[in-house]
Amino acid sequence: MTEVRAFFRRHGVSIIVLGVMAAIWQILSLLYTTEAVPGEPMIPGWQVVFTRTLISLSDYWQGGLGVPSVAEGAPPSYTAALLAIVSNSLDTMVRLYLGLLIGGLVGTFLGLAVSWSKWSRRTVELPLQFIRTLPLLAMVPLFQLWFGIYFAGKVAFVAYGVGVIFFAGVVNAVKNVPQVYIDNARTQGANRVQLYLTIILPSIFPELRATILLSLGTAWGAVLGAEYLGAQSGLGYIIVYSEAFAYLDRMFVVALLFVFYASISYAIFNRLSLKLLQWMPRVGRVIVVG
Amino acid sequence: MGRKSRRRGILRIDPVGIFGVFLLIMIWQALTLALPPSSLPTPSSVVARIGRDFIRAEELSFYGLADTGLLNSMIYTATNVMIAVALGSLVGTIAGFVTARFHNVRAILDPIVMTMGTIPILVLAPFFLIWFGVERMSAVLLVVLYVAVILYIFAQRAADNLDPVYEEYAYTLGASSKRIVWDILIPGTVPQVLGGIRIALAGAWGLEAIAELLGAQYGIGKIIQVLAGATDVQGIFAALIVLGLVAVISDGLAALVFAHVAAWSAAARPGGN
Repeated sequence: MTEVRAFFRRHGVSIIVLGVMAAIWQILSLLYTTEAVPGEPMIPGWQVVFTRTLISLSDYWQGGLGVPSVAEGAPPSYTAALLAIVSNSLDTMVRLYLGLLIGGLVGTFLGLAVSWSKWSRRTVELPLQFIRTLPLLAMVPLFQLWFGIYFAGKVAFVAYGVGVIFFAGVVNAVKNVPQVYIDNARTQGANRVQLYLTIILPSIFPELRATILLSLGTAWGAVLGAEYLGAQSGLGYIIVYSEAFAYLDRMFVVALLFVFYASISYAIFNRLSLKLLQWMPRVGRVIVVG
Repeated sequence: MGRKSRRRGILRIDPVGIFGVFLLIMIWQALTLALPPSSLPTPSSVVARIGRDFIRAEELSFYGLADTGLLNSMIYTATNVMIAVALGSLVGTIAGFVTARFHNVRAILDPIVMTMGTIPILVLAPFFLIWFGVERMSAVLLVVLYVAVILYIFAQRAADNLDPVYEEYAYTLGASSKRIVWDILIPGTVPQVLGGIRIALAGAWGLEAIAELLGAQYGIGKIIQVLAGATDVQGIFAALIVLGLVAVISDGLAALVFAHVAAWSAAARPGGN
């Protein structure tokens, strides 16, 4: 009971504000009843979202597990709708986290590699800056042409977006490692490899926290972008399909799911990284936003 | 250090970096040997394409985009970005200052802004396109929203970090709240806020392009969308590179102007923190 009370004391205002936002949405839906197409309100109220919309999501269930799909002639049901949400969310998340993993590893590795000498770092800095300004989402069509519209294309796109951020983040973080640390290890006879393992890697992690948070946000955007243009499943696919028919209520449900998943992934990462950084003095743990 | 040499310091380009750009182009050229031109055009053909499409792009007229070229589209996109960054910065900065000083407002606005900030633009864009139509308005509003979120965070943090001693001292000398805002809060936070505007501006180009890609009549994003439909990789490269160059140049200009505006501040100087 005390834990519940503590939770509410800490997050009480946020919960109330979210409740008020939900109420304002409802009021807007009552005041502004224009319809995008007949039967599809511009602002779907909660009474629509939790009944008609939720059940209509069973359109996206592809059958199996003893629950027939709507395409096979079965009537829409809450079971199928729930399965549709779970299976499409899983599809999106597999693409997201696989891309994140590959991009993170490749980006970190390349970043460490060019940081090996001052000359290689100076060589990549300017071209990297230009590559970073190329708008990621506008490159979706290119990745489709290169890697196809199936699984590989989406993962490659997320990995590219995440990889560029990690690459830049690692290069910058290594540059900011205090020279004192390096000199000190050098005078004690550490070689390059030892230097990387014992000094560079642990000291860049705090700065990489901001990079990882940024790449999480980018990854969510990228996976959606990849699904936007040619996918047969996933949350992005549902949004595209819904937009074509102006099903604003379905888009709204998926948007809510997105905010929910993204917030959870941020929260998990925050907890995890704070735990990993417990050895640091407080100063180094400041969260960097932006 | 004189003003002139400082200004040159901001736009200093590492000669080794130029070599890096050259190296990147060489790698690109080498890759074209292994890949067909339909999936990776050569650098020289892309440059030629930029030249050919700059004023008026013939290919685009086949796809229903008559009488437009990269220059025209870029001007449309740039106008939208400028309007959006100006508007979003204003709204975000004011909201950030207000919330930094009034804790009740902050308790209400913080969760709203943070929720807004986590929604990917691609989720929000379809709503805006249906609510506000596929005209200029949708794209500008989308970018305004994201710029405002960034500036909200930056302005709030800058005002939080401003040593309270300044304001307390001014109060004891009998300054009015209005004087404090104009003489202490704004000058004291200008460097950080300008830094936020630069970050927002850099991101705004991509957001504007994607907003146009999803539904617009004009703009560089519209060109990319049309060319993607025709799987014209060369054209997409040309459009992307023009967009990237404009973004880099605008960032350089912003750095120059902002360093001039905040020349008195140690934080705005290159190498300063």
